[in-house]
Amino acid sequence: MGSSFLARRLATAGITILLIVVVNFILFRAMPGSPERVILRGTPNVTQERLEAARERWGLNDPVFPDQFVAFLGATATGDLGFSFVARGQTVSAVLAQRIWPTVILFGLGEVVAIVLGLALGAYSGWRRGGPVDYVGNGVSLVLYSTPYFLLGMVLLLVFATGLGWFPTFGMLTAGATYASFTDRIVDFLAHLALPLATVSLGLVGQYAIVMRSSIIETLSDDYITTARGMGLRDGRILRHHALPNAMLPTVTLIAINLGYVVAGAITVEVVFNWPGLGTLAVEALTARDYPVLQGVFLLLSVSVVLANLLADLVYGVLDPRVRT
Amino acid sequence: MTVTTAAERRARARPRLAVEGAPLLEVENLTTHFRLDSGVVRAVDGVSFRLDEGEALGIAGESGCGKTTTALSLIRLLPANARIVDGTVKLFGIDLVAKSDNALRRYRWREISIVFQGAMNALNPVHRLREQIAEPLVQRLNVSPREARRRAGELLELVGIPKKRGSAYPHELSGGMRQRAMIAMALACDPAIVIGDEPTTALDVMVQAQILELLEDLRHKLGLSLILITHDLSVIAETCDRVLIMYAGKVAEEGTVHEVFRRPRHPYTQKLLSAFPNIHADRRTLDVIPGSPPDLRNPPPGCRFAPRCPFAMAVCTEVVPPETTFDGVRVACHLYPAGSDGAPVTVPTADAIAAGGARP
Amino acid sequence: MTASELSIVRPSGRTRGLRLLGVLRQLARRPEGVVGVVILAFFGSLAIAPELFVGPLQTAVTADGPRLSPPTDGFPLGTDELRRNMVNLTVHGARVSMAIGLLATVITVFIGALIGIVSGFVGGRVDAFLMRITDFFLVIPTFVLALILTPIIRELVGSGSQQLFGIRMTLIVIVVVIGITSWSSTARIIRSQTLSLKERAFVDRARVIGAGSGHIMTNHILPNVVNLIVANTVLVFAGAVLTETTLSFVGLGDPFQPSWGQILEAARSVGAPGLGAWWYFAPPGVCIVLVVFAFTLVGAALDDILNPRRRSRR
Repeated sequence: MGSSFLARRLATAGITILLIVVVNFILFRAMPGSPERVILRGTPNVTQERLEAARERWGLNDPVFPDQFVAFLGATATGDLGFSFVARGQTVSAVLAQRIWPTVILFGLGEVVAIVLGLALGAYSGWRRGGPVDYVGNGVSLVLYSTPYFLLGMVLLLVFATGLGWFPTFGMLTAGATYASFTDRIVDFLAHLALPLATVSLGLVGQYAIVMRSSIIETLSDDYITTARGMGLRDGRILRHHALPNAMLPTVTLIAINLGYVVAGAITVEVVFNWPGLGTLAVEALTARDYPVLQGVFLLLSVSVVLANLLADLVYGVLDPRVRT
Repeated sequence: MTVTTAAERRARARPRLAVEGAPLLEVENLTTHFRLDSGVVRAVDGVSFRLDEGEALGIAGESGCGKTTTALSLIRLLPANARIVDGTVKLFGIDLVAKSDNALRRYRWREISIVFQGAMNALNPVHRLREQIAEPLVQRLNVSPREARRRAGELLELVGIPKKRGSAYPHELSGGMRQRAMIAMALACDPAIVIGDEPTTALDVMVQAQILELLEDLRHKLGLSLILITHDLSVIAETCDRVLIMYAGKVAEEGTVHEVFRRPRHPYTQKLLSAFPNIHADRRTLDVIPGSPPDLRNPPPGCRFAPRCPFAMAVCTEVVPPETTFDGVRVACHLYPAGSDGAPVTVPTADAIAAGGARP
Repeated sequence: MTASELSIVRPSGRTRGLRLLGVLRQLARRPEGVVGVVILAFFGSLAIAPELFVGPLQTAVTADGPRLSPPTDGFPLGTDELRRNMVNLTVHGARVSMAIGLLATVITVFIGALIGIVSGFVGGRVDAFLMRITDFFLVIPTFVLALILTPIIRELVGSGSQQLFGIRMTLIVIVVVIGITSWSSTARIIRSQTLSLKERAFVDRARVIGAGSGHIMTNHILPNVVNLIVANTVLVFAGAVLTETTLSFVGLGDPFQPSWGQILEAARSVGAPGLGAWWYFAPPGVCIVLVVFAFTLVGAALDDILNPRRRSRR
C-alpha cells in the first residue's frame, strides 16, 4: 500500500481528533457556571484554598489561548479529564473505564453479527434476484431501516422477555446473584446479552443487506463477470472470487459512514435494556448534569468513531487496489 | 506452455465426444431470441456458417445486427432473458446447443474462448493480471498454482507484455496492454477457436494495428482459428480469410474476403463497402445508407433489408430470400434466386436509385 | 447525478412551477410514491390541527381515564400513567414531532445548501476549509454532540415558557441543535452538483457578460440544484424526525409538549415494556416507523424520477 495513502489517512484522522479536542475545550469553557466550580463540584470540602489551587492547576488565571488550550490538550492527552460531579471524587477516566467494556462487547459483537448476516443475506438476495427471499427480505429491511433501535429493543423486550419470559428484562447480570461456577456467570451474562445484541444486530442487518444486494446486482452486470462465465467457472466460484470482492467495497464504505449513526442507536439500546455501558452512562450524566463525564463520553466515542473510520479506510485500501495509487 | 503449430494442433487430442471427420465448427440455423417487456426480439434468426481449422472468419454488420449475439450464442454466454430457440452449433460434430448448462461449461475456454473489448471492466479490477490469466489454468486444467503462474508469465510474453508486469492491476495498464492481457487469458487453455468481439474498437489506430498484427502472428504460430466480430470492414479485410455479413439478425452474404470485397453481391454489402471512404478515390460525399435497421420485435415480412434497398422488387417485401451459393459466395437476396449463376436478375430503376431505396 | 440530467432553467417562477407539477405527476405514477405521499398527508393533517381531531392536549389535571390501562371503551389505544388518552397524546405528538422535524430540516438544508453552493462554486482554499469542517461533522457522532449541546444551550438560554411557532423554547433549542449538527451530508451532495454545474457553458456565458459570483450562484446555480435539494430535503426530514425522537428518548424532550419520542421516554421510565403495557409505546412507535418509512419511499421515488440513469440496466 502506498505510504502516501497511509500517511494521508493518518494525518486526516489526527487532525479530526485534534478538532474533537478543540470542540471539547470550547464546551468546557462554555459550560454554565465558572469552570473551576465545574471541575471541583464533585469533590467534598471545597475551601477557598482548594479553589485557588484548582484555578492554578488548571491554569484558569492564564489567558485562554494558547495557554489554557495547550494545558487542556496536555491534560486530555494524558487522560486527565477532570472529576465527575456525581461519582464523588472519582476521575472521569475512572468512571469511563468502568463502563467501557460492556459497550465494546455489545456494540462490537452486534456489528460483527450484522456484517456477517447482512452480507450473506444481501449477497444471496442479489444473486437470486426476484425470488421470494428477495422481496420479503427487502421489505423487512426497509421497515427495520425506518425503526429507531430503541423501539425495536422495546418490542423485543416486550415479546421475548416480558411476554415469553425467555430472557431477563434488564441489566448485564442478575442483580445480587451469586454464581456456583464461572460458567453459570457466563450463562447469565449471555442471557442478558441476547436481547440487546439482537436489537443492535437487527437494526444494522437491514441496511447492510440492502447495500450488499444492490452492490451485487451492479457487480453482476460488469463485463469481467461475463468473462468469468465464459471461462466456464462454476457459479459459486464466480460469486465468491469475482463478484464478492468487488461488491464488498460499497458495503465497507457504508459501514464506515454508518458508525456515527450507530453510536446513537447503541446508546439508546443500552438505555432500554439498562445495559451498564457508556450509553447509559451518558444518559445518567445528562440527567444529573454531570458535564465532565458527558464530555468524557463525547471525547471517547468520537475518537473511537474516527479510529474505526480510519480502520475502515485502510481495509478499503486493502480491498480495492485502485485507491492505493 | 509449448507453442503449438497448426500441424501439431491437428494432431492434438480433440474432445472426447468429437466426431471423426467433422469440421471444426458448423453452425446451422442458429436462432436466438430475447424476451423483453415490450416483446420478443429476434436478434439472430436462422444464421448458418462454418469455420475450418486455421481459418479466420470475420462477422461484420451494423450495430444491433446480431453479430455479437451470434458469437455469444456459440458458448451460450447470453443474459438471462435470452434463449437459443432453434438451430445447432456443432463443434467437432458435437452439438453444443443440445448440451445442458453444466455439460456446456466444459467446452468453454478449453475449446472456445472469447476476447471482449478491453474496456476497463472486462478484467476484474481487484485481481492482479497474472492471477487472472492463471485462473483458467488452475480452475479448468487443474494445473498447480505455481505452475499456472509460470505459464501465465509465458503467455504474457507471448502477447508482448513483459513478464514482470504480471503483478500489475488492470487499471495500471494502458488500453492496448489490457487488450493483450485479455488475449493472453483467452489462450490460456489452448483453445481451438478464439472469438474476438470488437477487439480493437476501443483502441486508437496505432494500437489497433499492433493488436491485429499480434492476432495474425498468434494465429499462424498457434494454429488458431479466429472468429472476429466487428463493424469495421478494414479490420476484416486485413485479418480474415472469410467474411460473414449480417443484417438484422440474418446472413446477407458470406464468402472469402477477396471475393466479397472485390465483388459484393448483396446490395447491403455493396452499400457497406461504398460507405467506406476510399483514400484513393475522388473526393465525394460519403454514401450513406438511408433509413435505419428494422425493429427486431416485429421484423418486416420478406427480406429485412427491403425497406432500404435500392434494388427492391415486389417479391422482396413478401418472401424471405433463400440462400444461394455460387462462385464461392453465399448470398441471401432475390437478385440471386435459387440456382443462380451469379448474374443479378435486375438492375435498379432510376426511381429507386433516386429515392435512395428509402421506403415508407 | 450529473447536470446533464437536469433541464437548464432560466430563473422564471413559472418554469419552476411547471417542473414541480411534472415531478408530482411522475410521483403519482409510482406505487411507492403514492403510498408515501398518502401517509405523509395523513400525518401532516394531524400535525397541522390536532385539536380538530382530538381536542386540546390532555394534562395530568384534565385526564380522565383509568391509569395505565390497556385499550377499553372510550380509550381505543389505552392510557398512560397520568391517565391520559393515548389517542390524544399520539395525535398531539404528531404535531410536535413533525413541527420540530420541519423546522430543523429548514435550518439543516439552508446551511447545507449554502455551504455546498459556496464551497463548490468558489473553490480553492475556501472550499478546502469548508470541506474540512464538513468532513469533521460527517465523521463524528453528531448525536452525542447534540446530546451535550442541548442542555448547555438550554441552561444558557434560560428556561421560560415562551413559544416560537407554537413550540416551546426547550424544543426550539433541539431544533437549532439538530439543524447545526446535521447539515454535512446535504452540503456534500450539493457541493458535488455545484462542481459539475460550474463547468457548464451557461456559467461561463454569465461570467462573460460580467455577472458577479453572488449573482451567478443565486440565479444560475441555485435553480439547477433545487431538484436535488428537494429530493435531499425529504430524506433530511426523515433524519430530523428520527434524531429528535432519539434525543427526546434519552431525556431531552419536553413533558409539557410531548413529541412521540417523549412519549416513548415516558413509557420506558414507567417500565412499560417490562410491564407488558404495549399500548403505551406501540402507537407513537408505529407512527414514527410509518412516517420515516413514508419519507424514505418518497425520497427514493424522487431520486428515481430526478436521476433516471440509475434505473437503466443494459
